[in-house]
Amino acid sequence: MTCAEFQKALPYIIETGGNAEQEEHLRTCTKCSDLVADLKYIAECAKLLVPMMDPSPRVWDEINKSLEQEGLVRKATPRGRLLEPTTASRWGPRRLVPVAAVVLAALALFVYRNQTGEKHVASNQAPEPAAVASSAVSVHGMSDADDQQVLQQVSAQSPSMRDAYESNLKQVNSDIADAQKSLDQNPDDADAEQSLRDAYEQKTMLYDMATSRSLP
Amino acid sequence: MKSRRGGLRLTLLALISCAFVTASAQTKKEFRYTVGPKASIIVVNRFGPVSVRPSGNNQVIATATLHSAKAQIEDTHNPSRVELRTQLLQNATPQEGAVDYDLQVPADALVNVHSATGTLSARGMQGEVTLVGEAGPVIVKDTSNGHVHVKTLNGSVTLTNLSNGNVDVTSIGGDVNLNAVTGPSVNISTGSGKIVYVGDFGANGTYSLSNHSGDIDVTIPQNASVDITARSVLGSVQNDFPLAQKAQPSSFAGGGGNQGRSFAGTSNSGSSSIQLRSFSGKIRLKKQ
Repeated sequence: MTCAEFQKALPYIIETGGNAEQEEHLRTCTKCSDLVADLKYIAECAKLLVPMMDPSPRVWDEINKSLEQEGLVRKATPRGRLLEPTTASRWGPRRLVPVAAVVLAALALFVYRNQTGEKHVASNQAPEPAAVASSAVSVHGMSDADDQQVLQQVSAQSPSMRDAYESNLKQVNSDIADAQKSLDQNPDDADAEQSLRDAYEQKTMLYDMATSRSLP
Repeated sequence: MKSRRGGLRLTLLALISCAFVTASAQTKKEFRYTVGPKASIIVVNRFGPVSVRPSGNNQVIATATLHSAKAQIEDTHNPSRVELRTQLLQNATPQEGAVDYDLQVPADALVNVHSATGTLSARGMQGEVTLVGEAGPVIVKDTSNGHVHVKTLNGSVTLTNLSNGNVDVTSIGGDVNLNAVTGPSVNISTGSGKIVYVGDFGANGTYSLSNHSGDIDVTIPQNASVDITARSVLGSVQNDFPLAQKAQPSSFAGGGGNQGRSFAGTSNSGSSSIQLRSFSGKIRLKKQ
């Protein structure tokens, strides 16, 4: 069994356990056994982020209310716009859980690639997977600390690209601030709200490109 | 005289030796595979250009030029998937780590290419094409029936003669130029980049061109069948194309929008729906 075949079946192996051939490969291949260990570690950390039970509807309502007060989502009201469907719930809290799962899976792949493919990455400088996961998951709450962590990862992985990421991060943060200010002054401006969402999406894309390098 | 001739010969020999040494530092590798229909072709490169074009059959032929011994290529393949990844040895500079890829793939292949620097180009494809670059330009030409996805940080994007497919481009700072691009769905989003569209928007398509601080320039012929809505939140708009007026969306009137920063109208039967949106840039609509 090759590593590619083993990794293709990995989700099933983690969920249900492997067959004899897969277990044999795991015993003999350090690359794949390291990967499985990393994924199990990340899965354990993910449990700390995602509650095992869904919180009560009141919790989601409170979160939604806070997002509305910040102007990041709008109440679903009829719109006069021609093209865009209402996206008031686009950034709703219920979408963060699957987003977190996807980001964690991408992070697992990123950690694996760093360990096996790029020998010049200083693995002892790479941030803890849980810490990176929290910065990548916090779509709205991307702080300066998150930005710095992303830039550190870029510096470790590809020092020549750091300046490009830094300047683009500054640009997109400026766009977010502009749009937020405009929306604060005109809360009913749907285009300003869309501009804010677009800017956040671009920042998410930048984070994604920096941390997982958008690897297929 | 003799000494001068001898000196010239020595100089020539030295030049030839230098050229030989430089050329020999580069290594060319070729990979050939036979794949099935709609095979996935993935190239993950760090530095260097990647170009993709049809092979005309079910073969994948990848030629990689490695600029130094500090770059290696890891390839995996099966009949439905080919993957080529550039691996760099420690302390490789971008110049040492550069690999130039030239790919010939089946036209219906699902192509996925990533490279930090270097031009990414795809021509004549009919399957799904995803190009992700950071600083290098992206060029897509002569694509039909396939979906095109492009992401860049600040690399420019040039799309020419694309039809019958969905197009999705996101760039933070790169300019996006579209020439004869039509499709059922075209979504272009940039931050500070400029968007330039020249074409007729086809028929029955939905187009969204939006940016934050860049300008949007759209040039269409008299016979374009379009239903256009344009608004700049803090910038300005300029319409030099004869449009039949229509009622503007209510979102224009509310929230600080005003007539000087928006316009809306139709031309001919209004077959394609176009939304032009900028936060602080200028939007111009011109006649070809």
